[in-house]
Amino acid sequence: MPMTSIKTVALGAGTLLLGTFVVAQERYFPAAGSQEIWHEITGSAEPTPELDVPQPMPTMLAQTSEVETKPSQPVETQNGVDESALRYFARKGDTRRLEIEIARLRALYPGWTPPADPLATPPVTDAALEEIWELYSQGRLSEARHKIAERQASVPGWQPPADLTDRLALAESRERLINASDLDQYATVISVASQNPQLLTCSEVDVLWRVAEAFARTDRDSRAYDAYRYILSTCDDAEERLATMQNALQFLPMPLVDDLLALERSDGAVGEFAEIRDTLARNAVAKAGEDKSATVPATTLDRLKKLAETEKLPTDARLLGWYYYNRQDIEAADKWFRMALSAEPSADAAEGLALVLIQRELYADAEELMYRWRDDSDDTRVVYLAAVANLLGLEPRPLLSGEVLSRIVAEVARSRNVEAARQLGWYARAFEQHATAKAWFTSALGWGPDDEPSAYGLALTYQLLGETAQLDQLKQRWTGRSERIQLVGVAETEPAPAGAAGRSVGTAAPVTPPAIARIVEPNTAPAASSRRANEGSGAKRGTGSARGCSNYTNPERLQPSAALSHGWCLMDADRPLEAAKAFEVALRGGNERTRRDAAYGQSLAYLRAGLVDNAAVAAIKAPQSGKRAVELQTNILDERARGAFERGRYAEAIMALDRRAQIAPERIDLMVLRGYSYMRLNRFGDARRVFEAVARTGSRDGIKGLAELNNLETY
Amino acid sequence: MSVRAAVAAFFLVSGAMVCGAQAQITASEWSDYSNRFVSDEGRVIDDGNGGISHSEGQGYGLLLAFLASNKPDFARIWSFTQRELMIRDDHLAAWKWDPNGTPKITDVNNASDGDILIAYALALAGKDWDEPRFTQSARSIADALGTSALFSHKGETLLLPGVHGFGADDQPDWPVVNPSYWIFEAVPVLAGLAPDNQWTRLSESGTALISKAAFGKNHLPADWVSVAGTTPRPAEGFPVEFGYNSVRIPLYLMRSMDSDMNLLRRLRDGMTGPQGAVTLIDLTTDQVTAELEDPGYRIISALATCVLDGTRIPQDLRVFVPTLYYPATLQLLALAHIRKDRPECL
Repeated sequence: MPMTSIKTVALGAGTLLLGTFVVAQERYFPAAGSQEIWHEITGSAEPTPELDVPQPMPTMLAQTSEVETKPSQPVETQNGVDESALRYFARKGDTRRLEIEIARLRALYPGWTPPADPLATPPVTDAALEEIWELYSQGRLSEARHKIAERQASVPGWQPPADLTDRLALAESRERLINASDLDQYATVISVASQNPQLLTCSEVDVLWRVAEAFARTDRDSRAYDAYRYILSTCDDAEERLATMQNALQFLPMPLVDDLLALERSDGAVGEFAEIRDTLARNAVAKAGEDKSATVPATTLDRLKKLAETEKLPTDARLLGWYYYNRQDIEAADKWFRMALSAEPSADAAEGLALVLIQRELYADAEELMYRWRDDSDDTRVVYLAAVANLLGLEPRPLLSGEVLSRIVAEVARSRNVEAARQLGWYARAFEQHATAKAWFTSALGWGPDDEPSAYGLALTYQLLGETAQLDQLKQRWTGRSERIQLVGVAETEPAPAGAAGRSVGTAAPVTPPAIARIVEPNTAPAASSRRANEGSGAKRGTGSARGCSNYTNPERLQPSAALSHGWCLMDADRPLEAAKAFEVALRGGNERTRRDAAYGQSLAYLRAGLVDNAAVAAIKAPQSGKRAVELQTNILDERARGAFERGRYAEAIMALDRRAQIAPERIDLMVLRGYSYMRLNRFGDARRVFEAVARTGSRDGIKGLAELNNLETY
Repeated sequence: MSVRAAVAAFFLVSGAMVCGAQAQITASEWSDYSNRFVSDEGRVIDDGNGGISHSEGQGYGLLLAFLASNKPDFARIWSFTQRELMIRDDHLAAWKWDPNGTPKITDVNNASDGDILIAYALALAGKDWDEPRFTQSARSIADALGTSALFSHKGETLLLPGVHGFGADDQPDWPVVNPSYWIFEAVPVLAGLAPDNQWTRLSESGTALISKAAFGKNHLPADWVSVAGTTPRPAEGFPVEFGYNSVRIPLYLMRSMDSDMNLLRRLRDGMTGPQGAVTLIDLTTDQVTAELEDPGYRIISALATCVLDGTRIPQDLRVFVPTLYYPATLQLLALAHIRKDRPECL
């Protein structure tokens, strides 16, 4: 009898399986200690006394002699072996159950041989019994009980075959176990199983699963493990083995799951649990992608990489992307997120790649990528706005296309994001659009009333626009909260617009270049409407700019080198006055290199804060390299010229420009500034000479300057 | 149905002879009942309640099959009951089984009267038919009820209607009981099976409870009663009604052969309408909410009248023609009782 056919026909968990216990599992009988294992699983040393039924493997073999002493049965041959079921199934042509029954009897009675022709002898004489078997085999258990009792009542002394009553009791127990399991009555499941160990066989894997679940749900993992291990050590059906492992995965802790995986059978190169190992690898990497402290074994990581490369599932690539992103391996994260995106566009992969791009300071790319996904979730919105804030905060300020700028403005206004709004303020300020800057700083402060940098930007703008009453009010509100706001307008050198140094701005004059006109003012919608919960919180996954120095640190307590780093960090966070203090600490105590870097940093910080004279002082606190010195001096003189021009001190502006011209070539924008300065000083000849030079470079600003000059001269 | 008919015919001819004991329910009555209310799979169907089944119905089915001396049907009903309802971890029966439910048990809570009926019928069958497996199951339920459902309160032994939903946290006027869950005749039987529990004191407490639970101008018990105070009150959160539950109280009292005549008279007088119908009464307004005409209800009043006044049961109530599951059950319980213990009423 081919073993495989039996295995195949004995399947079908979930449907009523009758008479299928003990199915040719001899091959996998544990050699020793099996009985103990069995009792460990069932938690019972003895079957119920009232059910005197054959034991299943493995204890069954030891009890064969007891079974043979059962009362004699109606259909018996060969030393009292009850063949009634066998003959019944043969007559019904039910070869599946016939084979199972033959296997069962063989296991029970090692010396027994099946009849050559089960149909031949003895002839069918008991039609009533036949009818009961029929009910039983159809799963009509109550009716089988009914018929037995009915026959006992009508035929005095008649006893049903023990085989029939045993099987009936077993089938009833099986249903009761399943019903109890469906209703989470785990104590009943375990007690029924322990009283009916015949149910716990490879042909009833579903029952074994339910028993294992009952153990696991009642905090007896080791017994659940024993049940799963029994199946994996004993049963052969591939699908059921896989499902067993999946069950174990659901209910057991990982160390026990790992032990069970060791029971994997392999068909050549591929193990039967490859799929499960894949799932486990995915789970491990997914978990580590959210928990930076989690470690993933190299084999697990390699398994997922291989999967991602061969099966090209975007989900796998994304898991790897997040894993590497959270371990600061930006290059690897970049690779996997790009692979995920090329396989399937998704918000998750886009978000990951955008964060990578932000880390790599490719803010424009990040903004471009995330725009499509900005409304997908809170996370994608935060990342989009982080890209925007970083992009706007770049120095020199980037010249954005009208399309990009207008969509940024719309999104910032819609999301009422404090940081991005503030950056729009600085951006507008850098392009000399002070009314627009004021509007954005005001909006940012409305959405985040405690945002000091926004208030500072607003204070500088009030000062520049001469709105002293508003400036005083603002200062009053920030009394004791911000030193630098209190200093606006009282420092020796008054603050000038920060930023656009190095960029070719058309002019510092009232003429408005086209690009600047695109910086749209924010909607001044009532602040009371829809305040977002995460307003002002910045990017959750790190904007790259504010990372590391978002908490207040007293720089006096830092070592010079740490103070230097802290200073740069604060510069990144656009907090130049605090940065200047940190650089000061580094300047006082550091070695030559640190001092030089700190002096450079401090002068840049003062420049950023508009404190040009302070910048000039800082620049000479430590000797700078020639290149840096020139850079600093030109920047300082840039700012001085602009500041003087804005305050109407045109002669000072020309002096600054002259000094600057001694160390660096004059850029077109500064030549324009020089031209307007001459014009305001009524030095029309000088102005004309400068504007003509500018106009010869093809600059429209030069032509405009000449036109204005012509108008003035006409009057 | 042909098999059923054959079975019925068989019992009509030879049932009494084969089974030995004098059946308190005739084979004909039982086959009318079981053809109508018991499915092939042994499920007792409450056709007045959407065709669901419950532990009470299975208990009644077992008890009636025993009283009809019908072992095959008893085996059939028990097979279903054990597989489908006896699945609770605490060895009590899940109370509600809905053929359209998934899983079929739609409420896994128990109902203590259903448990008592099942245990009682199993105990009787186990003893009379010498079936140790029935006795063993009866003992298991009696023990479980003793542990989970019997409780002491102010010196009285009381019966929790269900293990869940009737605790101090669930009921503001805890404890709440259902007087109709006292199946007095079962108490001494279960006390014999589970001697360690407080079963012996349950009957006494039950009679006292029903005596004191006299509400409205008819002085009738409510279906659900709070015993929180010094005297019982209708329970909060339940209809204040002498309802379908309570109509069986006098039947249980009479079947136990230990009834207090004054109490029985009060109940009979309070629940019986002018034409002998049983009335359900709103105990707040004293309004009649339903008049129950089925012979199964009327026979309870008629039986009480016989016990109290010696008036014989009218002929029309002696004939069993099943109407709905509940009154049909009550009628057979009444008829069985009359044949066994009150032949003077015929």
